[in-house]
Amino acid sequence: MRAPKGRTLPIALAMLAATLSPAAAQLSADAEKALHEAAKKEGQLTWYTAHYSAETAEKMGKAFMARYPGVKVNVVRTTAQVAYQRLSQELRAGSLQVDVFGSTDIGHYLELKTKGLLEKFTPANAATTLESVRGIDADGMYHVSSLGMVGITYNTAKVKAADAPKNWPDLLDPKWKSQVSVGHPGFSGYVGIWVLTMTKMYGWSFFEKLEKGKPQIGRSILDTQTMLKAGERLVAAGPITSAIEAAAKGDPLGWVYPTDGTVVIIAPQAIVKGAKNPAAAKLFMEWALSEDASRTMVEDYQMSLHANVPGRGGTPLKDIKQLILKPDEILKGVSDVKERWRDTFGN
Amino acid sequence: MTSTAAAPVRAWLRFDWTMLVWLGLAAVLVFIVVNPLIRLVLASFEVRDGVGYTFDNYLTAYGRPRYVQALVNTLVMGAGVAALCVVFAVPLAWACSRTDMPARGFVRLCVLAAFIMPPYLGAVGWILLAGPNAGWINRAWVAMTGATEPLVNVFSLTGLIVIMACNLFFFVFVFTTSALELVSSEMEDAANILGAGAVRTAFRITLPLIYPAILAGVIVVFLQSLALFGVPALIAIPARYPVVTTQLWQFFESPVRVEVAAAYAIPLLGITIGLLGLQRLLLARKGYVTVSGKGGERRVVRLGAWRWPMFGFAATICLITVFMPLVVQVQAAFSRAWGRGFSLDNLTLENFRFILFEHQMARQSVFNSVTYAAIAALIAILLSLCIAYIVNRKLLRFSGVLAFLCMAPFVIPGIVLAIGFYAAYAPPPLALYGTALILILAFATRALPIAYASNAAGLRAIHPEMEEAVRILGGGRFMAIRRVVAPLLKRSLVGAWVLVFVPTCQELSTAIFLTGPNTRVMSVLLLDLSEEGKLEQLSALGSVLLVITVIIVAIGFRIVGRDFMLRRT
Repeated sequence: MRAPKGRTLPIALAMLAATLSPAAAQLSADAEKALHEAAKKEGQLTWYTAHYSAETAEKMGKAFMARYPGVKVNVVRTTAQVAYQRLSQELRAGSLQVDVFGSTDIGHYLELKTKGLLEKFTPANAATTLESVRGIDADGMYHVSSLGMVGITYNTAKVKAADAPKNWPDLLDPKWKSQVSVGHPGFSGYVGIWVLTMTKMYGWSFFEKLEKGKPQIGRSILDTQTMLKAGERLVAAGPITSAIEAAAKGDPLGWVYPTDGTVVIIAPQAIVKGAKNPAAAKLFMEWALSEDASRTMVEDYQMSLHANVPGRGGTPLKDIKQLILKPDEILKGVSDVKERWRDTFGN
Repeated sequence: MTSTAAAPVRAWLRFDWTMLVWLGLAAVLVFIVVNPLIRLVLASFEVRDGVGYTFDNYLTAYGRPRYVQALVNTLVMGAGVAALCVVFAVPLAWACSRTDMPARGFVRLCVLAAFIMPPYLGAVGWILLAGPNAGWINRAWVAMTGATEPLVNVFSLTGLIVIMACNLFFFVFVFTTSALELVSSEMEDAANILGAGAVRTAFRITLPLIYPAILAGVIVVFLQSLALFGVPALIAIPARYPVVTTQLWQFFESPVRVEVAAAYAIPLLGITIGLLGLQRLLLARKGYVTVSGKGGERRVVRLGAWRWPMFGFAATICLITVFMPLVVQVQAAFSRAWGRGFSLDNLTLENFRFILFEHQMARQSVFNSVTYAAIAALIAILLSLCIAYIVNRKLLRFSGVLAFLCMAPFVIPGIVLAIGFYAAYAPPPLALYGTALILILAFATRALPIAYASNAAGLRAIHPEMEEAVRILGGGRFMAIRRVVAPLLKRSLVGAWVLVFVPTCQELSTAIFLTGPNTRVMSVLLLDLSEEGKLEQLSALGSVLLVITVIIVAIGFRIVGRDFMLRRT
């Protein structure tokens, strides 16, 4: 780089600043181009995702394809446990279909890593993400690509804000009998972690009481929101960001950050070992951790992974009481609460 | 030329080469029907990731009260479905085929429509109708009576039974109708002469005579209901009523325990065999000679004052099975939120836009469903035609076994087959998991019985003498088939193809275990969408599926006449 004399210092400072700031570490244009070319030769990749609603997942896929023409991403949105089940089925059959695996149950990654089923790859863009989500795996095998929150959601057409539950035990109040909606930990990763958190805080009796209140049990956590929108149920343990999005679109949805804490979901993404489209998978991982991806997520009111991309609506994460479980707690706990759930609720 | 050298040559020349083709086809049949079942049984004794055999899978599969409960629940559900199907179908079949009830043609059409609507879409419709708080029926009930408790709750055992019966009563209807069309009026006349009225005659004479057909229908319906996956996923999970299919699904959770799933499925096979045995026992001691053969004339029974009550009954069934679920579904497909009802600000095309244009896999899945079903139907038709030909013309020894094999998939619960398919095709050496082929093979196998029955019936009508004429004039057997049999069967083949295509296009129970990300079919996509509970989008995609099905059936009507799906096949 050439600079006119006398202006060397500011430029040197700027360069120094650049190396210090995360932006410096982002995927260089050349590397991006090379990766894009390699990905184009493969032409496509398959992405299992439990991070988003079907709409947002499709939107993410489209944004990726718009940025990287010639690389098609097959978006398969299901709940986390179903995505994991399909991956397991493929591994069992010795016929891997998925390239990039995006579950909301971090335990899946710990398990896959132990079995040596993840590809070691740290996207350059990982360095651009918020410090709080960076480097979740010391070996760089999986990376946080989405954040979510489970809080209390309600139908504003039928429940006044003042009457809405304020904390988790409020959901057990007999006045919400036959009016609560929840997802199923055997399907949803969000719900599994929510159930585990509640068990940790209030013991299993929380769910024994919940059971008496005849909750509507769907599969995905997003199902709770559909139930609220339809007026089939009034209150739910539901996804906050989706409630904000729905409210912005004019649906009668309200949300509460419970006083005893909002469950924060840290959802990683990884390349599966032996993926058929390794270059396309790497390109997708790079993109998923880029500001471009954050902007696409924020359009649908999802949480941003970048300081430069401000979130939309809702209270900033730092201002709410957060409940975050450790990954190994999740690994150990979720399969256990799944079983207990099935024993208590019989489904 | 000496005779010692000539003998083998002559034997060589005399050898009927077509025999190899027949044997080859028989081998294909054994491969697609028997192989998955053998693999299923073997898998149930295999040690996971190990060598040798064990009984542990059975202990695991039935070692927990919850797992056993699921099996008991399923049997209760199946019995309920079978009973309700009889209540729906038998009076309807009698009224449609033997009485002067008004609008019989229309009622028949509704029965067909109920069959065309896949059970999981019926379930969506009934959630909209009978959801405990927002369901149309319950809101109307609360509005009218001021009650605080809902009138009906779809998320219950009753809900499961009604939804399944709405789709499955078709089988009992078809079986009963065909039997009724063979019962001559002479015996009924005798009863009339002795002073019995129309209804009494129906109960005392006609009903007992068609009892074997009803029993066959009941068994089929019972076994079909065990295998459904979509309805339990939508209804049984919220209803907290675990059944076999949802339990089997759990065995496929990580770590995938195919062996345990296989062990869990084996008793279903036992139940199937037991039921068929029971059927033999029940029918063995009695004579139903009037049913066979071409008896005397069949006259219409005059219902008199019962005409309109009978029509009321038929109309109620049409309403429950077709119109009510369909109307609410169409409303939901065009709604922002189904619970908000009919109003302009709730009206949207967004669901269709999302399904048809935004959702990348949706269009692909429509294409997949249609092509896989079309190819599978074609394979099933061609294979079963050949087998039916072998059986009918007795070209191979033990051809009766071949006929049995063709029909076997009809009575084996689809979910049992699905586990067998997974065990047989998914792992190496075939390694078909995630390919279109595995789905086509599975679909073709499941479609075989209907195709076979249809073709066998068609072939029975063609006397071998025409083929013999071809052969006398020097044409080979294949020439005879191509130039004589196939043209004569053309219409019947088209009918059979449509009959097979429709259920195959909607198949879910086996697809769910075999589909890969690029081979998702509409039914699986519907199930994936249903996780989020977006009934509006589900309804939109469901409408697309229904429109496609109706178009295909309508084409079938044009080519082969409109009754082809209602005849016993």
